[in-house]
Amino acid sequence: MPASTVADTLVSAPAPARRTARGSGVRRRTGTAYLFLAPFLVLFCVFVLYPAISGLWISLHIWNPLLPNQPFVGLKNYIDLFVPGSLTSGDFWQSMGNTGIFTIASVPFLLIIPLVVAAMLNQKIRGGAVYRGIFFAPYVLGVAVVGVIWKYLLDPQLGVVNHVLGALGLPSDIPWTVDVPWAWISLVGVTVWWTMGFNTVILLAGLKGISNDLYEAAALDGAGTMRKFFSVTLPGLKPVLAFVTTVTILASANMFGQSYLLTKGGPGHATRTAIMYIADEGLSQNQMGAASAMSYVLFLVLAIISIVNFRLQRDRSQS
Amino acid sequence: MFKKRQVGRTIAAAVALSVGLALAGCSSTGASSGGDVKGGDYSGPKVTVTFWNGWTGGAAPVLVPKLVAKFNAEHKNIVVKDVPMEWADISAKMPLAIKAGKGPDVAVAHGDDIATYAAQGLLLKDDGILKSLGYSADDFPKGLLADGNYKDAQYGIPWSVTPLGLYVNKDVLKQAGLDPETIPTTKDDYLATLAKLKTAGVQGEWVDGYVFTGTFELESLIWQFGGDLFNDDVTKATFNSDAGVQALTYMTDLIKEGYSPAKVAQDGDFNALVGGKTAFNWNGVWQTTNDALAKDDWTAAAVPQIGSEKAVWSSSTHWIFPSNKGQSKDETAAAATFVKWMNDNSAGWAATGELPAQNSVREDPKLLTDYPKLKPFLDELPYAHYETVAPGITSATATITTALNEAILGKKSPKAALDDAAAKADQLLQQNASQYGG
Repeated sequence: MPASTVADTLVSAPAPARRTARGSGVRRRTGTAYLFLAPFLVLFCVFVLYPAISGLWISLHIWNPLLPNQPFVGLKNYIDLFVPGSLTSGDFWQSMGNTGIFTIASVPFLLIIPLVVAAMLNQKIRGGAVYRGIFFAPYVLGVAVVGVIWKYLLDPQLGVVNHVLGALGLPSDIPWTVDVPWAWISLVGVTVWWTMGFNTVILLAGLKGISNDLYEAAALDGAGTMRKFFSVTLPGLKPVLAFVTTVTILASANMFGQSYLLTKGGPGHATRTAIMYIADEGLSQNQMGAASAMSYVLFLVLAIISIVNFRLQRDRSQS
Repeated sequence: MFKKRQVGRTIAAAVALSVGLALAGCSSTGASSGGDVKGGDYSGPKVTVTFWNGWTGGAAPVLVPKLVAKFNAEHKNIVVKDVPMEWADISAKMPLAIKAGKGPDVAVAHGDDIATYAAQGLLLKDDGILKSLGYSADDFPKGLLADGNYKDAQYGIPWSVTPLGLYVNKDVLKQAGLDPETIPTTKDDYLATLAKLKTAGVQGEWVDGYVFTGTFELESLIWQFGGDLFNDDVTKATFNSDAGVQALTYMTDLIKEGYSPAKVAQDGDFNALVGGKTAFNWNGVWQTTNDALAKDDWTAAAVPQIGSEKAVWSSSTHWIFPSNKGQSKDETAAAATFVKWMNDNSAGWAATGELPAQNSVREDPKLLTDYPKLKPFLDELPYAHYETVAPGITSATATITTALNEAILGKKSPKAALDDAAAKADQLLQQNASQYGG
């Protein structure tokens, strides 16, 4: 999942301001550049552009892949999403709300904790590489492994977590995977544990890129640790932070596996995310048209958030 | 710059248009109609029969190749090619494969998928095959053959059934000072036993709000209280009837009385039985072959009668004959011969935790000598209820689990949860009717 969101980000990122090409030499060079870009362009067309366009086409139909006819219905699939009481609107907006809850709850942790960890790992401590490995380790696990492990650990009656809590004299009947709000805490916690290593490593690379001279200069000016962090580290990390923020928001908004495995979307549908509902609608119920329409609405929301995010970061760096 | 952009736009529009046209072209293949093919003992030229099944786990991956090899050795003019794959892959691949003429000649499908396939014109009607193989409804448990019948045509031949039963951890009963040989069979006995277990500090049945196995218990209870999941022509959900509310209320009362913990996780019910934390679990016959139970002193019994009549949930699998584009009659006839032979030789299938559907095999005393724990499940079959037959039904039945989950977790009252689910199910049934034809 994170890999695909990286691709999404690259695709949805606004193109850098174009410079007008002047003179034939420059044109020939751009020609060569296009030639080198062509393989990616082909892949992009086949795996991104074509599915995107056909998805738009499908969303205008009742598209049940099992049936011989896919009747054209115009914008009905979209309109249904905005008509209360229709088959899809209630479930869809509930799942969008759930996605929002998860994103808002998880993104701050997925930024702040890795930032703190990266800052600590950036100190010249003994065994830094080992710690880095330890923090990154969960990230290499597949979501299925993560889901199965935590399902056992977090089982409300039989799980290790509640058992340990009980042994410490704390409440031992917390429904970690069964009821809200606990299910959200579990989902966010598991996700942070699972993916924070990725953000940590990228932020660490960003920290390594900040010149030591700046820290020395700041120290000479009498800056303490905190002042150095806020006046040197954070500004130096801005471009990296913008990337990590966008990738993290998109990854959280695309959360699927954790809910699917840990909570089955329950209680009721309270932790069913948008992607989960879209997958169910399209692949289980074979309503590809409605599912495509939902994907496009989700895409639109995420595109707006990404653009706003990039604008904010850019304005800040300009001021 | 401006001109360039316009060229780009024109290209984009042209691409969009041509993609659209290509897609429209793809989508207009007609469904082939199912014809009648005679079965019987195949005596034609040598043919290869492709056989798709979802048997990838448990004892099946060893058992099936053996059976197929034996069949191939006994039939010089038929070669059966066994193609196991995940169930999900089958439902994803089969429709397109059949339309392209590359599907199997015979396959095994779950009872709730048959109508969906049949409505798409993917299956041959097998009334003729059934007759030539000498099968009638009496050769299978009551109501099972009808489970493969859609719009007055037969599309499936039964292969196996998997009813729910009551699993009992005898050690837990002993520790609570109860007689482990007396298994409650009525509501009063069952609740009395649960009360005694509670006094001994044991929550006797863990009720969960998931498909495995809360939904199976709830559906069993709805039938026991005299209700049904849907009306006869499957146009309206009826699981929110009085019977449904009684059934779900009974389950939430188990929690209210303290006979079950309040927030049981998925599979928590069975794990608790295995771990000796609870005495009873309503679970499918497939658990009889689960190694997890090996360390426990356990037994199985028929599910107790909680409502006014005996009833129990069961799922089933059936043989289907796909109507591939250009399907060869010889291959279908050979496939029918294979189906009959498999059913006749299905005694060993009990090793997979499923009951053979063919009565003559199940009634052979040898079955119980080999698998004594299956007895209560066999006894339940006269009153077992199978899947609802209607295309696209799985989305509508999924709403029952939502209602169960909400009620078990106290989010809604049983009645409100069932009413909401039924309203949703009605919408889904309507959608199915408009897409698959009512």
